[in-house]
Amino acid sequence: MLTVILQQGINGVVVGSLYVLVALGLTLIYGVLVQINFAHADIVTLGAFTAYFVTHLFSGNYFAGIAAALIVGAILGWLVNAVIFAPLRERANELLPLIATIGVSITLQNVMLVLLGPIPYAFDTPYSNNVIRFGGIFLTMQSVLIIMMSTIAIGLLYAFMKFTILGKALRAVSQDRETAALMGINPNQLIMLAFVIASALAGMSGAMLGPVLVLTPFAGTTVIVKAFAIVIIGGFGNVEGTIIAGLIVGLIESYTTQFLDPGLIDIVVFALLLLMLAVRPTGLIAEKREENV
Amino acid sequence: MVSAILSSRRFWLIMAAIVIGLLPMIFSDSYWRTNLIVCAINVLLAVGLDFVLGYAGQLNLGQSAFYGIGAYVSTLMIMKLGMPFWLAFACGVLVAGLAGMLLSIFAVRLRGHYLAIASLGFAVITYQILLNWISLTQGPLGIYAIPPPPPLRIPGLPVIEFNNLANLFYLTAGFALLTYILLDQLVRSPIGETLTAIREDEISAASLGINCQKWKVLAFAISSAVAGAGGCFYAGFVGTLVPDAFFITESFTILAMVIVGGMGTLIGPVLGAILLTVLPELLRGIGDLRLIVYGVLVTLVVLFMPGGIVQAGQRIAARLRQRAGAGDTVSRT
Repeated sequence: MLTVILQQGINGVVVGSLYVLVALGLTLIYGVLVQINFAHADIVTLGAFTAYFVTHLFSGNYFAGIAAALIVGAILGWLVNAVIFAPLRERANELLPLIATIGVSITLQNVMLVLLGPIPYAFDTPYSNNVIRFGGIFLTMQSVLIIMMSTIAIGLLYAFMKFTILGKALRAVSQDRETAALMGINPNQLIMLAFVIASALAGMSGAMLGPVLVLTPFAGTTVIVKAFAIVIIGGFGNVEGTIIAGLIVGLIESYTTQFLDPGLIDIVVFALLLLMLAVRPTGLIAEKREENV
Repeated sequence: MVSAILSSRRFWLIMAAIVIGLLPMIFSDSYWRTNLIVCAINVLLAVGLDFVLGYAGQLNLGQSAFYGIGAYVSTLMIMKLGMPFWLAFACGVLVAGLAGMLLSIFAVRLRGHYLAIASLGFAVITYQILLNWISLTQGPLGIYAIPPPPPLRIPGLPVIEFNNLANLFYLTAGFALLTYILLDQLVRSPIGETLTAIREDEISAASLGINCQKWKVLAFAISSAVAGAGGCFYAGFVGTLVPDAFFITESFTILAMVIVGGMGTLIGPVLGAILLTVLPELLRGIGDLRLIVYGVLVTLVVLFMPGGIVQAGQRIAARLRQRAGAGDTVSRT
């Protein structure tokens, strides 16, 4: 029994740390722009497919696949910002960009559907079958890799935000865009930077989620829906909260699968989300947006 | 004189009724008649969403859930309890409306993006319940052999059967027209002005003594009840129900209809629903590319024509009038 709990705990942390990477991107964008990017889901999917094809191209070099997914993600993030968010910024309507990215998402999903077909791809990395055993607990090298890579990525992001000038500028833009601009910061460039970082993270997590998910052109949607829940449970724009919430959702997922029914995962996660919203509604971001009144 | 007739609502409503009457005669094959019914259901869903989105300014991504609740509740009432169609219909609409009020508890406290995600969560939960409560909904296997609405017996008239597509279209389109008229009355009444005030600036509205919470609850209830009605007709028309018909992407599709048509007007969602239902059918020749066209269209409309088809039409009309030299009418717009 204890081994089952531990085993599922590890599985939950593995998936949860990938959700954290996806959710951190959403939080980062929300922090600087107060906007939601629905196409984030499809950057995850595209990252997964890029990794799949590049890994095969480089005869099984998974790290080449991850790197390629990261680059593709960064480029897409830049594009989404340049084409959708930057032109809509002057309109000052908070719902229009969200709706536009739903359009982008429908487009990307169906382009992938035409090119790649609806049948799930079997994405096995060279590390998937490399099993380590501790007593009764099984751990694949892939899981170890995922936990290491996401810890490094989260750590780097955290250090970047905390200790570099650019990170400081990003936080300044999140707090007050106009005042930041008066201090000689170009908010537009920093918003673009936030998009590039967020989407690179999404692409990279896609590369690592690919072997875990049912890899179809619609794979990202299931991830992003959970990422939204994580971002809200953790508090929009709050990095530590997002990390904790992401791991909680990962654990909920693995324990629900083990002890209840895999079909109930989304119900449990979203019941938690709605409960969170009912108990602590705008409280988590209200302090930041008071001056909008 | 002519312009007075053209600008009167009654004239256009009569025209709409005539067009609805003529459509099944023009399209006599079952393929296009089926599409006509789908159009009518989508019009219902789109005007319902626009009421809460375009007028009350609440982005509700849970419309697929209310659509599904209406469909499943009415069907289960008919199949499991043997309830007559119209009573089951009323139940479906009522339960969907109540579910909307339940969601509006969150809308009362949340704004903008938070509401969008809460409603999305609501849609995900509803979909998963439909999928996993197998003893009730039969899950992914679906419910089959749902009967069409029963014949309508009006004394003095021949019996109207609903097992043929033309009459089923008259029923759904007639209901959609009726809903349109009611919503049109509602948005032009003080209630509509109140909702618009909440959309434009909730705090100013509240400072004028408007009870924003009460009106948001009302807007959600009406909007989701309309979607529920769409679901009831869908079940009776298609005859089978599977949860996948009410996945969250359905919410996005309905949203796209409202946006492309023009939110904040009632005629916009009608045009959007018709266009986005018929366009994919016309593009069937290019196969899977049709949904790409769909996505691109939504994006382009938001970027370049945020008022949708209606706004584009108004601009073209204004330009034509300007060219005709009627300067005074232009200056008023």
